[in-house]
Amino acid sequence: MATVKVSEAEKVYILHGIRDDLRVDGRSCEDYRHMEVETDVVSNTDGSARVSLGHTAVLVGVKAEIGKPRPLVPDEGYLEFFVDCSANATPEFEGRGGEELGIELSNTLYRVFNNKNSVDLKGLCISAGEHCWVLYVDVLLLQCDGNLYDAISVAIKAALFNTKIPRVHMSSDDEGGKEVELSDDPFDCVRLSVENVPCIVTLCKVGHRHVVDATLQEKACSVASLIIAVTHRGTVTCVKKVGGGSLDPESIFEMTEAGKRVGKALHAPLMKLLQQEESLGKKREKVGFLG
Amino acid sequence: KRGTTGGWIKTSGFYVYDVFIFTMLKSKTFVKKTRAGGVMKIVREHYLRDDIWCGSEACRECKQESTVLQAEACIESNLCPYPHYVVPDTNVVLHQIDVLEDPVIRNVIILQTVLQEVRHRSAPVYKRLKDMIQAKEKLVYTFTNEHHRETYIEREQGESANDRNDRAIRVAVKWYSQHLKADGLKVVLLTDDQGNKEKAEESIDEYVKNLTANPELVDRLALSKDDKAEIISSKVLFPEHLPLSKIQSGIKSGTFLQGTFKASRDNYLEATVFVQGEGEESTEVLIQGLQNLNRAVHQDVVAVQLLPRNQWVLPSSVVLQDDGAAKDDDVDGDEEEKAVISAAEAAGKPTGKIVGIIKRNWRPFCGMLNVSQIKESTRHLFTPADRRIPRIRIETRQASTLVGQRIMVAIDGWPKNSRYPNGHFVRSLGSAGEKGTEEAVLLLEHDVPHQAFSQNVLSFLPKMPWGITPEDMIKRQDLRHLTVCSVDPPGCTDIDDALHCRELENGNLEVGVHIADVSHFIRPGNALDKEAANRGTTVYLCGKRIDMVPELLSSNLCSLRSNVERLAFSCIWEMNHNAEILKTQFTKSVINSKASLTYAEAQMRIDDTNKKDDITESLRGLNKLAKILKRKRIENGALTLSSLEVRFHIDSETHDPIDLQTKELMETNSMVEEFMLLANISVAQKIYDEFPDCALLRKHPAPPPSNYDILLKAAKSKNVEIHTDSAKALADSLDVAKVDGFSYFNTLLRILATRCMMQAVYFCSGMDSDFHHYGLASPIYTHFTSPIRRYADIIVHRLLAVAIGADITYPDLMDKHKQSALCNNLNYRHKMSQYAQRASVAFHTQLFFKSRGILNEEGFVLFVRKNAIIVLIPKFGLEGTVFFDSKDKAGPSLVFDEEGPTLKVEQTTFHIFDKVKVTISLDDSNIQHQKIRMALTEPVIPGVSVAAPDVEPQAKKPKVDR
Repeated sequence: MATVKVSEAEKVYILHGIRDDLRVDGRSCEDYRHMEVETDVVSNTDGSARVSLGHTAVLVGVKAEIGKPRPLVPDEGYLEFFVDCSANATPEFEGRGGEELGIELSNTLYRVFNNKNSVDLKGLCISAGEHCWVLYVDVLLLQCDGNLYDAISVAIKAALFNTKIPRVHMSSDDEGGKEVELSDDPFDCVRLSVENVPCIVTLCKVGHRHVVDATLQEKACSVASLIIAVTHRGTVTCVKKVGGGSLDPESIFEMTEAGKRVGKALHAPLMKLLQQEESLGKKREKVGFLG
Repeated sequence: KRGTTGGWIKTSGFYVYDVFIFTMLKSKTFVKKTRAGGVMKIVREHYLRDDIWCGSEACRECKQESTVLQAEACIESNLCPYPHYVVPDTNVVLHQIDVLEDPVIRNVIILQTVLQEVRHRSAPVYKRLKDMIQAKEKLVYTFTNEHHRETYIEREQGESANDRNDRAIRVAVKWYSQHLKADGLKVVLLTDDQGNKEKAEESIDEYVKNLTANPELVDRLALSKDDKAEIISSKVLFPEHLPLSKIQSGIKSGTFLQGTFKASRDNYLEATVFVQGEGEESTEVLIQGLQNLNRAVHQDVVAVQLLPRNQWVLPSSVVLQDDGAAKDDDVDGDEEEKAVISAAEAAGKPTGKIVGIIKRNWRPFCGMLNVSQIKESTRHLFTPADRRIPRIRIETRQASTLVGQRIMVAIDGWPKNSRYPNGHFVRSLGSAGEKGTEEAVLLLEHDVPHQAFSQNVLSFLPKMPWGITPEDMIKRQDLRHLTVCSVDPPGCTDIDDALHCRELENGNLEVGVHIADVSHFIRPGNALDKEAANRGTTVYLCGKRIDMVPELLSSNLCSLRSNVERLAFSCIWEMNHNAEILKTQFTKSVINSKASLTYAEAQMRIDDTNKKDDITESLRGLNKLAKILKRKRIENGALTLSSLEVRFHIDSETHDPIDLQTKELMETNSMVEEFMLLANISVAQKIYDEFPDCALLRKHPAPPPSNYDILLKAAKSKNVEIHTDSAKALADSLDVAKVDGFSYFNTLLRILATRCMMQAVYFCSGMDSDFHHYGLASPIYTHFTSPIRRYADIIVHRLLAVAIGADITYPDLMDKHKQSALCNNLNYRHKMSQYAQRASVAFHTQLFFKSRGILNEEGFVLFVRKNAIIVLIPKFGLEGTVFFDSKDKAGPSLVFDEEGPTLKVEQTTFHIFDKVKVTISLDDSNIQHQKIRMALTEPVIPGVSVAAPDVEPQAKKPKVDR
């Protein structure tokens, strides 16, 4: 993971600031940095989104492909995650440098998103036991400036919102063989319900307090952070502790509560924004990566 | 934020600013099903530009350099009296291409949308459309509306692909009409589509009907949907065809079989479907009855369902022709069914019914019009020349002019409640019975490419005057000093082989076969090569030759004429006096033939003991060796079969046949043949050794034993035994088969045996394992000796040249799949050329008999059918059918015995080989199928046989002696 070296004096400065709820960039402890979301940025995916959070930038593409359902859950589709830590983001990722982080991130994403409470997996089933949609979620890290989890989760939610799966139906012949038939209208597609898709809120324990959306400097002052997946109702679906330090139960509780609060506050404007963007339709001016 | 680069300006999408051109990037997105069953989203970049001009001469806005469309676009029309351009939509192009191709229709705009749609839906129409666009005088302009900034449209939500394309066409037409408004020109959209018509201009029907100057064009209109509805009666005559998806799954699961539909020539209610099995095995499924045939037309690819085994039947031996007046759709079904059922017998061949059509193989058919009996009617039946094609209903207002002409008709469709398919008139070939017309018909019907060679092809010919250059000599052996001569039929101008024979110092003989080096002139892959590969073979008709290669090559540079230096590919053997090969050598060479002889001339030289010159000595040596070779070959079991070949003496002025005789074979014929066989076998072995995977060889499969049934039965009836276990046994038993007092018996047997044989075919050695040539009793064989008239020989030349290092190879030569595809074409062309040749002979025979009146001749029964006997007249090599039943009156009692086979007519029984006497006359009651009619005069059967004409046959018109 991209890290920065912070001197002792800087550390003290950051710690003291956080103690007084005033962070280096002027935010309070539960404030996010400026966030930009744009969907439908990659035309050859079925759904895509670009999110920048401070200087952190991620791109998520969703490709829907037809696969075979898992034997234990024959009536559900599933999601596959792959996180590509591009060497664009930081020179450390060059070669296989980003692999470890990528695996760690994607493992977390599996836990957060690949369950029927988050995504309507039953809706992805085409014919039980034979065909289902597999959503390949590819995450590309373009720039690392801290708080990857939150940025990725917002991008995934936006990309899933944007995903259009071609409508198919099964045709069966006399012999019992089944075949997938495709509608020839490219506009004839299924949208996913993203209502219950959670967002991740990462809380960093810095000194005695915790902050949301830590910058790299803040991260360097922290020994442990808690990753909390929260739905729009404030339900916590997943909690994970990362980092070497320890957390006492009381602060875990406090952090969870804070996470719920922040998560709920994050969902509402995100959904509003996505719907607003959608309503613009084709007339929307795309910003893309050069904007 | 990030510095934008030079010319990139951001608005919607990316714009690139060029000096003149404003290009805009759009992306086209569509979803496709992959072969593995997945679904893939495909995104294509699509650039729009505004430098696409309208192509009109009148336009002052567009900065075009050259224009296609005229400013004065006038076509006489009642509907659109103003100057206008015509824009056909996709369906009009697909269905009415015959009309659009007419030279009258000019100043046409073909939209890119239309072009693309046509390309997807019909390859042949697409090709014709492309040809039309390329023809300068047609003035057709292709407007790339899909890339024009103002006419490009995106598909909207809820819009089908078709609707989108229709809209694109309308948008383009609208753009055009606004664009040209200032110039006083209008644009007319031709469409049959209701939706389009509401918004746009004219239907093609109305448009064409109002072209005042050209009434005949109306006939070429294919029937549109409304018209079709009128014709068909309410009764459904045929079962519905299954949709393609059901057919495919049925074929996958094995309930249906896929095959090529081959209608029977003799019986219009019968057909076979040839099902290509895996590997070697393939089966034939018999189809009987109108219902089961279910609207399949000869050569269609169809899906068949086998009937239960207890309904399997044998092919009926009845000869049935669908003639007479147009039948009412309601009545005929039952009556025709009866004819079939009576033919059905127990325990037959696999029998099935057609459930669907996978691919129609319709082409325009030649034939003639049967004018409807109702005078005012514009609907008439068209009878194709090919009996295997059903009659076609067409609409024409010029029936009276078309009567007696050969015309071409294309099928438009065959609804399930119509007895006949519906079609439209394409063009007229000329009056029936005229030689030019008939020749055109038989070339068209046999798919023989006979157009003049294009400029592109001719451009690859060597420049004249041509001479042998020192470079040519580098890899060639100089054989100019040898006494080479050629022996060919009289009048032959394409001499592709020459021979020599001389005694060597060691007492052995050197024999050389020199073949024209055509592959030196035809280089792989150029237009000349492609044309030759497509033609496959030269087609010889009576008095006409359709060359495979342009005449400069066939009759001059490649022809091994005497006393000129010619390039050759030589195969030279050293032999002892027992004709055993001691050494074989292949080389490219230069020869100078000393004489071009005919068979007769060569024979005379050999026989004339006074002649002692080099040429004659060489011929004698060759003749001696050939006799030994022939003996050896026959000992090995090669078959000598017989078929009668006819030669016409053609009047040099009228080109009418004035005499007819069967070809005579001389010793010298077989002398040349023997050495050609030897060369072919030697070369076959050499190229196979060198290229085991891609040698082009020729094989002749052994016929299945059942093929011999007829021969065995026939021989048995004369108490002669024929063994068919091997070619050798067959050859031997044919040799001894003799009946006292019946000298012609052996020839007849051989003629029958020939009919039992399989077709010899070209194949690629890498694709097959059975190389045996049954007829020649050779384990390997190819064609090497006639490269001027057969393309297979050119390939063999190239292979051999590579093998001996005289030429370089090229990829396609070594690709066994490509070569296999080539072999298929060659086999097809070869077969068709034989058919065309036979048809030409038949036509000339008719011409001959036309001038002869009625003749009384002796003949032999060759086959016995249920209701007829087929008689061979040896004198003319002519075969004809004597029918014993007739449609209008009650026929004599007929008893057919399958075992004999014999046919008992009243009291007389006919066996195979019976000697009969028949009258021969030309039956021109059906001008399309003028045929030789034979009627029995001996044996006399009351009520059946006719009286012999009492006078000696005499020409009706006395011939002027010259």
